[in-house]
Amino acid sequence: MKQGYKQVKRMTPAMRIIHWLNAFSMIGAIITGLYIGHPYYQTLIADGAVDKYVMAWNRYGHFMIAIIFDVTSVVIAYLYFFSRFEKPYKKLIPNGKNVTEFFAVLVNLLTLNRKKGFDSTHSDSFNTVYFTIFHLLLIWMLLTGLQMYVQGLESGLSSIGSWWPWLLHVSTDWTLYVTGGTNMDVRIAHHMSMWFIICWVVFHIYYQVWRTIFWKEADIAIVIGGSKFVKDDTLKSV
Amino acid sequence: MSDKIEAVKKLFTSKSSRVETNKGDTYYQELFAKCEARLNEMRAQTPANRLDFSELLEENGIDRREFMKWASATTAMLMLPPMFTPLVADAAVMMNRAPVIWLELQDCAGNSEALLRADGPKIDEIVLDIISLEYHETLQAAAGFQAEKQLDEAMETFKGKYLLFVEGSIPMGMNGQYGTIGAAGETFHDHLMRCSENAAAVIAVGACATFGGIPAASPNPTGAVGVMNLVKNKPVINIPACPANPANMVGVILHYLLTGQVPELDSLLRPKFAFGYRIHDNCERRAHFDAGEYVEEWGDKGAQNNFCLYKMGCKGPMTFNNCSIVRYNEAVNWPIGVGRGCIGCSEPDFWDKYAYERPMADAKIKAPTGGVEKSVDEFGLGMLTAAGIGIAIHAAASTVAGKRDNSGESHE
Repeated sequence: MKQGYKQVKRMTPAMRIIHWLNAFSMIGAIITGLYIGHPYYQTLIADGAVDKYVMAWNRYGHFMIAIIFDVTSVVIAYLYFFSRFEKPYKKLIPNGKNVTEFFAVLVNLLTLNRKKGFDSTHSDSFNTVYFTIFHLLLIWMLLTGLQMYVQGLESGLSSIGSWWPWLLHVSTDWTLYVTGGTNMDVRIAHHMSMWFIICWVVFHIYYQVWRTIFWKEADIAIVIGGSKFVKDDTLKSV
Repeated sequence: MSDKIEAVKKLFTSKSSRVETNKGDTYYQELFAKCEARLNEMRAQTPANRLDFSELLEENGIDRREFMKWASATTAMLMLPPMFTPLVADAAVMMNRAPVIWLELQDCAGNSEALLRADGPKIDEIVLDIISLEYHETLQAAAGFQAEKQLDEAMETFKGKYLLFVEGSIPMGMNGQYGTIGAAGETFHDHLMRCSENAAAVIAVGACATFGGIPAASPNPTGAVGVMNLVKNKPVINIPACPANPANMVGVILHYLLTGQVPELDSLLRPKFAFGYRIHDNCERRAHFDAGEYVEEWGDKGAQNNFCLYKMGCKGPMTFNNCSIVRYNEAVNWPIGVGRGCIGCSEPDFWDKYAYERPMADAKIKAPTGGVEKSVDEFGLGMLTAAGIGIAIHAAASTVAGKRDNSGESHE
């Protein structure tokens, strides 16, 4: 360990597993989702009959990934409030302390790390807000996606019972009205939100790498090893 | 906004879009008795016109057996059990006791065409022939004051009993002056409100009358709206599509004749027996969709082999209608059957949002501000590029600033 630095735990193993599950799910969802929106490669006419299920497999993959997202979303929503490690919701309350920290981190980013007036030991308000935007985007994708899904269950029946389409209607029909009223608007919104998420990811990766390089606190290690290193003030004062 | 709030309220108080195909024996026994009583009552009435259904069938070379086949198919379409078949047949024969007033507003008369048929009348069309059409702007012989008098008389005679069919949208711009009718220059809006006041029910037929259709397409110069936006105190039934399928018109009239009630409707006021199905799920080319076999351009090998038209912009996956089941022109064919995609004509805003003949991802869509038309992917890539440029600038600046910082650092 670097002299004068201490190790701080930032992510539990469960959090890290969820992070990577989400990251890889997202790549899969984008690859399959783009195909569903506009089939960008052709099934070869010479393919054997047993292979000719390309769109169906893409949809299968997309929906399976959606279920993984469903489950992790529920877990994350729970952890936001009840985590025994760190409760992210505490960083979202717009009280004086959080607002000050939010802008301090933003200033740090905008002044290219010349000003750093906050404690980077713990998860900061700015990142928590940024992560929350992502989770909200993901929930939006889930709801619009399930709305499109239930349109195929127009019989009101499903293999697990009629409660399932009913539940989907009750929980997602509002997305129709919010996006503009038609079945197509939900699709446009779902597709557009993919681009928002991609932009979100690009900045997220950049920002974490940037922190690692300029803060010199090994922030990138958080998501792999679960901890980072900060200057140990207690040692200095001794 | 208040409209939206109303719509949301309705959404959460209405039943799900589930189509209940079996409501139980007791229900049907009760309904049967009710329908029978109603038909007997109607039989006692004098027909409103002298057209005889049986004669018309004979003239067109349709025998009794064929007619009964049609009756059982229609019974099934209306989601009634087989025991209703004789009642449906009876109701069809008594169609000349159903007074109908037909308004034609801002439209192309395509639904009247569908009602009239251009070639070889089949049973659906004959049934529509014998309805007691009291007033139809395009079809009637009367003109001018004479026509207006006929309308007034019909509304007086059948007060509270007639079905008002409306074809075409209602222009609301410029105080409705885009469309007027009659010597007095009555606007379409006033005309509709006056005629709907004493109607038993208002049936909006075709894409224009239901959701505004093509006249309401962006930029909607005449401020066109559909009937359900204006008529609030009456049962409104929407039979969208461009044109509406005569089978569905007959279904609604028969249902009304038989039961005296409006059929079960979905959240867009479309009868569930017709619009409870998604085209995609009953499409004959669905297997090609799942297989990933698509027509890539008109007339290619895929097109010659009836591949899926999804990449040519088919909107079957987002469109609810029964044309993949009942088809058009007495089940002769339908859009996908002839090798072109669905354009979603039974959905709201179909001209702007469905009918662009390419997948949604490639379609030029107006920004919410109404300005630049870009496809979603173009917009998304633009956004991503902007993000990339921002990041590149920040990264470059940070590198320079970071170096300065380092050179200034004396400790460590």
